[in-house]
Amino acid sequence: MTATVSEAIATAIRTVLHDTGRSTSGVEPSMLLSSDLGLDSLDLAQTIVLLERSLGVDPFRAASGSRPSIRSVADLIMIYESAVNPT
Amino acid sequence: MTGPGFIDIHEALAPDRLALAIRETARRSPQEPAVVAAAGSSDRRSIDYAALAALVDRFEAAVLAAAPVGVVARARNVEALVAIAAACGSAGVPVALLADDARDLAGELREWAVVDDSLVLTASSLPHRRQDDGPPHVVVATSGTSGPPKFVQRTWDTVLAAARLADQWHGLGWLLVYDVTRWAGIQVWAQSLLTGGRLVVPASRDPDTVSRAIVEEQVAILPATPTLLRRLLTSGDARLLAQSKLARITLGGEAADGPLLDRAKAVFPGARISHVYATTELGEVFRVTDGRAGFPASWLGREMPGGIRLSTRRDGELLVQLSRDSADVATGDVVELRADRYEFTGRRSDVIVVGGAKVLPRRVEDLLRGVPGIAEARVYGQPSAITGELVAAEIVLVEPLPTNATPESIRAAALTTCRESLESHGVPRILDIVSRIKTTAAGKVSRRPVTVAP
Repeated sequence: MTATVSEAIATAIRTVLHDTGRSTSGVEPSMLLSSDLGLDSLDLAQTIVLLERSLGVDPFRAASGSRPSIRSVADLIMIYESAVNPT
Repeated sequence: MTGPGFIDIHEALAPDRLALAIRETARRSPQEPAVVAAAGSSDRRSIDYAALAALVDRFEAAVLAAAPVGVVARARNVEALVAIAAACGSAGVPVALLADDARDLAGELREWAVVDDSLVLTASSLPHRRQDDGPPHVVVATSGTSGPPKFVQRTWDTVLAAARLADQWHGLGWLLVYDVTRWAGIQVWAQSLLTGGRLVVPASRDPDTVSRAIVEEQVAILPATPTLLRRLLTSGDARLLAQSKLARITLGGEAADGPLLDRAKAVFPGARISHVYATTELGEVFRVTDGRAGFPASWLGREMPGGIRLSTRRDGELLVQLSRDSADVATGDVVELRADRYEFTGRRSDVIVVGGAKVLPRRVEDLLRGVPGIAEARVYGQPSAITGELVAAEIVLVEPLPTNATPESIRAAALTTCRESLESHGVPRILDIVSRIKTTAAGKVSRRPVTVAP
């Protein structure tokens, strides 16, 4: 499942960058969403909608109260993995 | 039709008028078609005025005998529905035009007798109408671009108010693409039947079916929403449409954009195109007949025919003052000055809020429709936990695609166009190519998000 979730996230981010006319390079788990990839809140919102389509979940809609901090691609992978495979 | 011996229906009380007009046409031209149902299909059937008048007579007798408090028409057939309406008006009994849907009857309607296509009023234990119950009204379901439909009461006067009864309007073919029980649809069939016209009801809203209905039944007048007209022009059979005898296209329900009007003029060179601006509360406010989008800027701030005054709020919302001593009515429609015209940019309630910034979906739709290769567009708010909403869009591509274009290149061009003309929050973040855009029962662009599909 790890491969699927991280692939889906990389694909979504590449789509966001492509759709907004920015160059797409590799997306690595260690990358910071804002400083490395240049994603703003609109970009993140788009990423989440795209991921809801590819993975079938939106962990941010369900989250009530404190939202987990999402700074890196790895943070996203962790959040989606626990949403896709709740234990 | 105002020759000697013709009853002037102006003189009749409004509730009687429809039945009177049907009977009068049946007397003069019994074999004249009143309703052509399922037009454009092999199930086509034509009901002449004699047959329609017979239905009205039969149902009026049944209503007078049963004397219900009111009648709920749940008819599926157009001729049955109009016969029920006409008969109830003539019998002085209120009628609710609800067609064949599963909507629950609320309030007073629970005490009314229900009738379907069979036109049989079953004897029931329901209460009876009293002499002093007042003039009969009409209950219709409002379209509601968003939210569930509501029931509203109308007087027969308001139902018939917009009908044009001058000689030039008599004996024409009217296309009914609207839902027969919705306000816009009621106006069309009432107009047609009051003037001895031929009401042509296509078997479906499928563009090819509508094209066939227009040509085969020699439709003269096409009342439609811009969305329905756009679909017809985009997907209808162009060679067939070129043979149409359309004399008039009356657009309403939504704002018409310039490219659509130009396209309609090219496909129907013989048709006059007018655009009616009306609201649920005010009825018809004005009509634009110069074939251009929006309305002349000079109309603002001066008295128009009928004593109406238009003005705008600071945020661009159009205000209407019906007469000198009445208050401004907010229309919910936002207009923007472009050169010498005020053009409609959307409904206030349609505003998409993206991270606190407002986006009018219509503006984005107009931009998208201007991109070569895009036939139709729908813009809606996609809920987002991060920004509240995101601008999302669906586009329908033209067929065949322009030379050298691919779906992907058109999609990219659409995004580029939006980025060049809109602020970043207004650019669609979700842009899907679909085969058909979602419309409401009233034939308008739906503003609801799609349910997410994997």
